[in-house]
Amino acid sequence: MTPREKAILELVRFSEEEQRIAVEAERHGESGKAKRKIFQKYMIKDIVFLAIITCCTLITGAVMPLLVNVPLFGIIQLGLGIQFSLFPVIGMMKVKKPFALLLQSMFISIFLMFMFPPMVLLIACALVAELLTLLIFRGYHSDWACVFAGTLYMPLTLPLLYMYYNVFYTVSGEEKAAVSMFIGGGNVGLTVGISFAVIAVCFVGSVIGMVIARELKKAGKLK
Amino acid sequence: MAFFRHKRNLYPLIAIASALLIMVFGLVMARTVACSYFLLGALAWVILFGCYKQALKALPLFILFGGVFTLIAYFSSEKNFDSALAMTNRFGAVFLAVMPGMSIQAVAMTRNLSQLHTPRGITLGMLITMSFIPVLRAEIKRVREAMKTRGAGSIFNPKIFYRAFLIPLVTRLVDISDTLALSIETRGFTLGKSKYTVYKKEVINVFDILYLLGLIAGVAFAVVL
Repeated sequence: MTPREKAILELVRFSEEEQRIAVEAERHGESGKAKRKIFQKYMIKDIVFLAIITCCTLITGAVMPLLVNVPLFGIIQLGLGIQFSLFPVIGMMKVKKPFALLLQSMFISIFLMFMFPPMVLLIACALVAELLTLLIFRGYHSDWACVFAGTLYMPLTLPLLYMYYNVFYTVSGEEKAAVSMFIGGGNVGLTVGISFAVIAVCFVGSVIGMVIARELKKAGKLK
Repeated sequence: MAFFRHKRNLYPLIAIASALLIMVFGLVMARTVACSYFLLGALAWVILFGCYKQALKALPLFILFGGVFTLIAYFSSEKNFDSALAMTNRFGAVFLAVMPGMSIQAVAMTRNLSQLHTPRGITLGMLITMSFIPVLRAEIKRVREAMKTRGAGSIFNPKIFYRAFLIPLVTRLVDISDTLALSIETRGFTLGKSKYTVYKKEVINVFDILYLLGLIAGVAFAVVL
């Protein structure tokens, strides 16, 4: 055996050994410190992917300025629920780090300011959704943690509508008709029904996002 | 003196502030005729300060969507003129607020935020989100063309939409994101606390202040009226 062949053999053996250790660590759930940590440092590739996926959310959510003028409870959330859960979940599935959702909402907030200023509070909703997810799932290692955060994200904005209808819509009107419309004209069933519909739409969007992300992972695209 | 020199674009943060002012005031005062006058005045003011291209883009959309929703409001409220006026004003406020926003260049916004020491991760993300829209539009067009070439069928079929449109689009976005990240890293961009300089600083100009003061005066005048 020539020295060159010996060196190649040594290299192959070394890489096999490395691979074996990695597989072993993965099996025991101890693949380095990074996996045990809840809070991890963001890399440029994370920020870039989140920004790009936010751009998708933004483009598909461009109907918001039209929806805000329809005086129907939950219409914005119903109309945008799918987009605002599907894409953020894909983002969170790739960047499995806390505050990925918060970053996405920060990136989109500047555009929401022009579309519908109260929706800037989406940042607060993202923070609440993230904190609840971290509390329950202790991170984003599980795919269902991403689905959970994605499902909560948009429905949490429902209370913002109250502010909108109460402050903006009726400030110049005495009859408070829009507030009455907000609470479904006194029909609690309608309000509860639409709220559940919004949650269902967001859940469906999140699951679709998870399915897409899993498919991409299988194809080796989401690392 | 940069402060007195004429410039083409508004100071980014002033443009955002003015958009907020127009939007909030328009929504709050939507039911009054004074609001209509304010919006007309603000449109002229915005055009005067260089947003005429944005106005040309936004006005046809306002006429189309605002007109449809105004008609809906008019007929659904048993031909009540006030409801129709309120709806027109709301749409007017939304579309007028978009105009100064559209005039902001992504790079100017980033420079402005960098000057204010905003974390680099956020400025980078905002820059990419703002400037990625044309790229995304081109990618969507490409995927749709590929669908047509393959004879994949109608995009309105959920299965086809998922398999032939959504998956290829997201795959492509992942590829673009990886390339872009690599390109940014290669150029030495870091997220750490390393010192950096802003290539071209955004400065507040006398015209920016005049623009904002004019809008505030318009708001005050409309309230008094």
